[in-house]
Order: sequence, then structure tokens, then C-alpha cells
Amino acid sequence: MNKIQPVFEVVNSSLTDETLWQRLKAGDELAFSALFERYYRSLINYGNSLSSYPERVQDCVQDVFVNLWLYRNTLSDNVVVKAYLLSSVRKRIARLHERDTIFRQTAPLDAVQFSLDFSIEDQLIADEETSAQVSQLNRLINALPPRQKEALYLRYHQGLTIEQIGEMLDINHQSVSNLLHRCIQHLRKEWKGDLTLLFMLFSRIL
Amino acid sequence: MQQRNHYKKIEDFLADESFQKWVREGKEREHWEEWTVENPQRAKLVAEARLWVLATRVPEPTLSSSEVAAALQASRDKIKSIEKETTVPSIPLWRRAGWRSIAAVLVLGLALGWLFKRQTLTQNTLTYTELINQDSQGLIEQANNTHKPQLITLSDGSSVLLQPKSKLSYPKSFEGDERKVYLSGEGFFEISKNPKKPFFVFANEIVTKVIGTSFRVKAYTDQPNVEIVVRTGKVNVSSNQAISQLNNETVQLLPNQGVRFARKTLIFEKITDLTREKPDAQSVTAIEQLSFEFSDVPVAQILKTIEQAYLVEIDYPQEKLKDCYLTTSLSDQPLPEKLKIICESLGNTTRYEMNGNRITILSEGCN
Repeated sequence: MNKIQPVFEVVNSSLTDETLWQRLKAGDELAFSALFERYYRSLINYGNSLSSYPERVQDCVQDVFVNLWLYRNTLSDNVVVKAYLLSSVRKRIARLHERDTIFRQTAPLDAVQFSLDFSIEDQLIADEETSAQVSQLNRLINALPPRQKEALYLRYHQGLTIEQIGEMLDINHQSVSNLLHRCIQHLRKEWKGDLTLLFMLFSRIL
Repeated sequence: MQQRNHYKKIEDFLADESFQKWVREGKEREHWEEWTVENPQRAKLVAEARLWVLATRVPEPTLSSSEVAAALQASRDKIKSIEKETTVPSIPLWRRAGWRSIAAVLVLGLALGWLFKRQTLTQNTLTYTELINQDSQGLIEQANNTHKPQLITLSDGSSVLLQPKSKLSYPKSFEGDERKVYLSGEGFFEISKNPKKPFFVFANEIVTKVIGTSFRVKAYTDQPNVEIVVRTGKVNVSSNQAISQLNNETVQLLPNQGVRFARKTLIFEKITDLTREKPDAQSVTAIEQLSFEFSDVPVAQILKTIEQAYLVEIDYPQEKLKDCYLTTSLSDQPLPEKLKIICESLGNTTRYEMNGNRITILSEGCN
């Protein structure tokens, strides 16, 4: 991954999302490309966790950008770009999903489900004790209801705020906050790891 | 990084990007290690948070930069094809203006036969006032003395965007088998379809006849030319019989075609440069430049486009309509028709009310 970046990307990386957003609104095609290159990968990644049809996910993500450009005149000013994009991708996939199920008249009509499975950072784990602890925790997390998993993902991997997650998942932010907290508390209870032992192990590693 | 001293829950650590980086990549910019061992209570929390990070790896996207570049290109192509379908092409053909290109335009004009019979009449002009006086029906006159285009809705559901310093006269309702209105100045017309009752715009010496379409007429009393530019549909343009009993030629215009009528010489000439000067209010996007082809677009955005195009204000229940998306083509309808289509698509609980330039949409949400 340490390839030399083209000059263009270096220029991009120095501009904030907000600057690029304003430039895009003003009709700057370079700003459009820059946002595309900045977010395409992670949007595809997120999309794939909501749908099992990668080609459709690609279409959805691209259409989000296409509409961004076509309706740039009507975009609002105060937007957290990343949250806006993630949310647009989610809505698009959800609607596509809904349409398909109506069309086929099969499958329940519930919204899309977050189906990404978290994996384990194997390379960073040296001893068996930690490894066992981590696998157990990983199993518990992956067994959480999809909505909770999605909230965890959006909060800790995409770095969205509680408010933004609330808007995306259509629940008020106090509930998101509770949801995340309850989820973590619940897991800690379930998780029978001996923290004292763990702490000793950990300090030995240090 | 001072705030980490206040971290009390593992959530706090997980939300800290630099903490995650430290665990995943071993990056030590913020001295996490030293900070951790300073305090045993703290170390316990850190240890737990670390296990969380280790247990929640998200597989990295495997797209190469050439795949991203290809996707970007694909999106650009989509944009281009949509833009081509919907907007008025601005034709930069003769951009590098010099005497040569001017000559070429003239030759082209001749070759295409757009030059009509030349008449030598000089003082044979018709003005708005004369036209109105000839019409026996009781007419309503609306004049736009503001600085922004003004919306007029006619009894047949057609809409007109009247430019500043322009006037339009029209009957309260259209009787008989013709619809006739009179324009002085400039207006953008969107006419509701009715093949049995053709629609006529009288503007200076020019009569524009349509069945259902959209087009712009520019006919200021004090300007030497009358211009008609068509956006959708088919339009027939001829000179008023009152000034040209002998010359009954009709010019037919298709979308994105325009014609200019020189009032002095009574000659029609094709408008080749549709890169038209913008209407008076520069801050306003001309309606022809907005796309009304919507594919899976939030209703809020569609309504915003309409607000921009017609300079109206739309009230609607934002909360109830926030998850409503529509795919629809509204390029070819006057405003009331556009609103009707939107309301119908949202379901039978939705309707609209129009009061001058304020529109209220009443809805219980979409299906």
C-alpha cells in the first residue's frame, strides 16, 4: 500500500471534505472526482455488508455520486459528507431491496440487514490466552442483532457521531447511545474472561 | 489528547481513532503505552478495550486504484448520458468568434433555407396594445414589475414564467375552440396538452401556435427582434396576418430549435447559438437549465428543483415525506401538471393547494 501517490491525490488529501463539498456544489469536476476517490472504497465495503449482490452495490454507490452531481444545485451547505454518503448508500440499497422483495413476492418485507462479520486481528495476537478471549468476544459480537452490529460499525469504524447514526438508522440519538452502551455492557457480562488474569498478561506484554 | 484522561468506559477508547491506530498498527504518536502504565485502574480498561479492537476487525476493501478509476469513469459516463437527454445543449460551435465564423453562420443560414421571403415593408409593426384592443374578450392583464420572474397559472392548467418588465394578457377562462394570450416582453410557456384547442401566443408581429409543449417567447416592444426557442414538443411560428396578408409562411420548430424574427425586414432567421444570454435575474437559474428527469430522487429534492425553476415556495410535511423517492419525468408538463403527477405518485392521501406563488402539499406520507 505504500506506493507513491500521484500528485493529484496528494492535492486532494490536503483538502477537507467541506471544501470539496463546496467546490462540487459550485460545479467543480475535480472536487467530484476527489470525493469519489476518497469514499468509493469504504462505501462499497459498507454496501456489501448490507447486500449480497456486489454488482448492484456498485450501481447503487455510483448512482449516489451521479445524483450528487446532477442535483448539486440543490444540495444543502451544512452536511457531514461522510455521513451523508453512507446514509445515501444505505437508503438506496434499502429501497432496491424493498422493491425486489415486492417484485418477487417472497421473503419478509423487513429492511436491509447488516450482515458483516467482524473478524479477528490474528497477526496482532501473540499468546493463546488473548487469542481465546478475543475469539470468544468476537463470537459474541457477531451474534448481536444486525442493528446493534451496524451501530457499532458506524460508530467505531466509520467514526460517525451518535446523532448521525440515529438519523441513518431512524432512531433517536438517546436510543442509539443506550443501544451502544447496553450492547457493550451485555457483552461484558456474557464475556467470562477473567479480567484480572488478562490484566496481568497484558502488563507482562508491555 | 488531554481528554483521554477522562475516559471512563471502553466506548470512549473505541471511539478514539488514535487508540484504534495504536492497537492495530502499533503507531505510537500519542504515547499510549506510557500513558497506560501510569495508572493501574486505567490499564485494566485499556486492556479490555484493546481486546475489543482485536475482536472487531473489518475486512479491508480489496479494490485496486484502477478499479476505482474505472468506477469513476462509469459514473461520469452515466452523468453525461443523463445530461445529454435532459438539458438544452449549449452549442459552442462558433465560440472562437472571428469574421470567418460569422461568415460561416450566414452561409449556413442561407444554405438551410432559413431565410424567408424578404419584404420591404418598414413601418408595419404591431404592438401589444394594438393586439389587445383587437381582442373582444374580457382580458386579465398581469404585469411583472419586480426583479424576478413571476409565475402565472392559466385556467387550462398551463403555466407561464413571466420575466421582469413583461406583461401578459389572457382571458379568465378560454372559451371557444382556441386559446389566445398576448405577450409583451419575455415569458417561458408550458402549455397543457389539448389537441382540440390549440394555444396561441401573440407577441408583436408573431403568432406562435402550439398544442402542448414548452417554449420561450421574447418579444419586447422596444427591441428589433422577436425570438422563440422551443424546449419540448412542436411549435409553429408565423407572422401575424394583420401585417402580412401575402406572406403566410409558417416555421416549424422542434425541441432546442429557435427562430429570430427581424421586425423591420420581416425576416425569419434560425437561431444558431442557443448559448443564450441569461434572463435578467442573473442569480436565478433559468428553468431551461434545470433537469426534470428524476431517477430515484428524494421528493424534497424534486420540490426544491421546482421551487428554483418557478420561483415559488412549497410547504410540505418534511418528516412524513423524508423517505419518499420518485422516479419520474416532468420535463414536458406545466407546473400544475407536475404537482399533480408528484401527488399522485405519492399516493391517494396526497394533494396540493396553490395560492399565488405559495404551494402547500398535504400528505400523510407515501405508499
